[in-house]
Amino acid sequence: MMSEAGDRDSAVNERPVRLNVSDDLQRGRASVFFRFLLALPFLIWLAIWSVAAFFAAIFNWAVTLVRGRPDRHLHGFLARYVRYATHVYAFFNLAAEPFPGVGGRPGYPIDLEIDPPARQNRWSVVFRLVLAVPALLLATVLLGSTNSPGRYLSRTGSYGIGLLGVAAFLAWFFAVARGRMPRGLRDLIAYALSYGAQLWAYLLVLTDRYPSSDPLTAIGPLPIRDDPVQLDVNDDQRRSRLTVFFRLLLALPHLIWLTLWGIVALLAAIVNWVATLVAGASPQFLHRFLAAYVRYQLHVVAYLYLIGNPFPGFTGTEGSYPIELRVADRARQNRWSVLFRLLLALPAFLLASVYGSFVFMVAVLGWFAALFTGRMPLGLRNAGALALRYSAQTYGYLFLVTGAYPYSGPCLTPRPAAPAPSVPEPTALPPAA
Amino acid sequence: MRSLALRLARPATPALLIGVALWAWAAHALWASTVPAPLHLPHLDESRYFSASFLERSGSYQRFLDVLGLFAWAVLLGVLAMYARRGHRLMRESAAGRIGTGMLLGMLGFALVWLAEVPFGLVAVWWERRHGVSHQAYVTWLIGSFLSLGSEFLFISMALAVAMALAGVLRRWWWVVATPIFIGLALLFTFVGPYLVPDTSSPHDPRLLSDARALERSEGVGDTRVRVQEAHRYTSAPNAESTGFGSTRTVILWDTLLDGRFNHREIRLVMAHELGHLANNDALERVGWLALFLIPATGLIAFLTRSRGGLARPEAVPVAILVMVALQLLATPLFNIVSRRQESAADWAALNATHEPATDRALMRRLTITSLGAPDPQGWAYALYGTHPSAMQRIAMAYAWERSGRAAGR
Repeated sequence: MMSEAGDRDSAVNERPVRLNVSDDLQRGRASVFFRFLLALPFLIWLAIWSVAAFFAAIFNWAVTLVRGRPDRHLHGFLARYVRYATHVYAFFNLAAEPFPGVGGRPGYPIDLEIDPPARQNRWSVVFRLVLAVPALLLATVLLGSTNSPGRYLSRTGSYGIGLLGVAAFLAWFFAVARGRMPRGLRDLIAYALSYGAQLWAYLLVLTDRYPSSDPLTAIGPLPIRDDPVQLDVNDDQRRSRLTVFFRLLLALPHLIWLTLWGIVALLAAIVNWVATLVAGASPQFLHRFLAAYVRYQLHVVAYLYLIGNPFPGFTGTEGSYPIELRVADRARQNRWSVLFRLLLALPAFLLASVYGSFVFMVAVLGWFAALFTGRMPLGLRNAGALALRYSAQTYGYLFLVTGAYPYSGPCLTPRPAAPAPSVPEPTALPPAA
Repeated sequence: MRSLALRLARPATPALLIGVALWAWAAHALWASTVPAPLHLPHLDESRYFSASFLERSGSYQRFLDVLGLFAWAVLLGVLAMYARRGHRLMRESAAGRIGTGMLLGMLGFALVWLAEVPFGLVAVWWERRHGVSHQAYVTWLIGSFLSLGSEFLFISMALAVAMALAGVLRRWWWVVATPIFIGLALLFTFVGPYLVPDTSSPHDPRLLSDARALERSEGVGDTRVRVQEAHRYTSAPNAESTGFGSTRTVILWDTLLDGRFNHREIRLVMAHELGHLANNDALERVGWLALFLIPATGLIAFLTRSRGGLARPEAVPVAILVMVALQLLATPLFNIVSRRQESAADWAALNATHEPATDRALMRRLTITSLGAPDPQGWAYALYGTHPSAMQRIAMAYAWERSGRAAGR
């Protein structure tokens, strides 16, 4: 998604609330299997602690309002509470393996660092709850209406378990079967926990830094992946207020065209499935056609959800849009994986659908931000790009454009190589990805 | 003189003359009406039919809306003129090719017009609410107006996609092929139009259907669908419309017409009027008039966009929109004349079918009162906004029908 690793590291370190991940991905099958029951005592203890934290937070708010900075002792107590909540939720959601203890001490594999008390803007303290509403809305989708502080905004709990819950749910099956946690899901859960921790720290007046939704700076080192379907972001965050205001309506011709193209793409995908099953690889023209469709879909959704600014073209041409999809050449695919592709894609689709709710909320918040400032906030842009990349990878996998399973977590991509001179199409295919 | 003679000798000139002659012949054919001519309508005194207080109230109500409409037109032209000058700068907001960029510029032009006209719309809603003609909430109107912009965007995108694609191939002659395509699309939308009207259902009252069947026979119309549209959420004004042709012929009655304010005979008369439109094939005739408008209009657009490289270039789109809208506004009084003529013919057909001139007069009076219409509007307002004959003209027509009936021994 992004290649500037140095900038990213400095952005991570600048945050007053930092999530450190030192988890080795190894999981005990029994511990995972009974995780809910094992986590219950910690959740109860956390609930008791929450009562004390609630009153401490009110005191802390009043003290910060009067003195301009939080009280050292209250800050320490509340910071420890937020750290402990992060440990418990990391354990509960399978992002970490060991028991989280009872005191919120540092050193847990998913750990939180919070800067000491610093001066805060009093206006921001007075209106803290109001200012937090956008972040609470995003948290409701990211963390779910049960895990997030945003549950107080959503009585219906319409977002259910959120991205965090779905990731944990899928990870549970994987970890029970394989005895280890998939990196993508673990990082996705860690990203959600990082956002939740920042939000709690903001709400409890531990910091006046607004929570950042940027997945690229949420956790420690990210993997650099060279997936067959990957996203390049060359967007400058500038947004035209006029096109932002009318974005939904401006996208209508594209949505109609996308629907029509989608019908043909679905038929082509069925033909491609049969052909790939027989030949072991997609026919070149179908690969190109379906890759163009997935790319066009990405362009349209990026435009609609304000992740990209310019009006996209109607052909899905590579290199035509700042939020671009790079699709590798066709490759051999495992026939068993091809045969059961629809079934195998179901978990990815489940996650993609929640990512869809997430990017919708990103778009709603981004719409207001872009309309007022003429720019899309970096955090929201990158969060949206993460969701779109996952969705594009899922469609690429389903349509047999690639045999690589979608990577669910935030990651970095290597810089694109200079375009090679065109050569005749090779007859031998590279091995399966 | 010599240069004029040379010009007339060009091969294109005879073709142009033949075209003009064909255009005139088609206009003459479309002008034919079922209202017997000459039908001299006497000028009736409106104060004999409407109270002085109503005339004062409706006069002030309509005057305000008429003047507001003029301002809205001026703003529309002003915004589009500015957009024609500077709109091409918005090309930087597009990563699409020339057609996609042209579509974007087309949509943004309409978006700017919408933004500029929102205040006028809100003022009109305020005025209608103040006079009890509408009870639509401002937010509902705003959202509805915003969403209806979506259909305008789709329409302009489709039209520009066709025109620009053809302009890329045929250069300055794109309009020769585009016009028949637009006419074909207009025919298609007229045909499927009844299915695009929202919130309609079958009438609950079986008498409506039996009346419709009897009137169909009387007016010589084939099977016609009758639907009731839920309009009471937006307005209290009564209305009805006929739409579609051939197998999609439909009469749509607003539920505000059926809310008890109008008696059975009056509703029957309204249905007869709408069936009159269908009997006269007015929907197809309107497409015919549209074709007669489009032929010179598209040619003029092709001519006036040459300075921007022709319609193949997206830079030309803002100019094309300005020309199209300006021509539409200029043609509005002419379209209104055609519309009033069609309405008169439908009135006449309704009187022939129902033989109820007294009911017709009462209905016209009641419709005018419920919609707070001006019974005898000012000349300029009548020319610019009058899509129907005035209430006084319609009442006079009922008298005229009565007289002609006596003369014919009906």
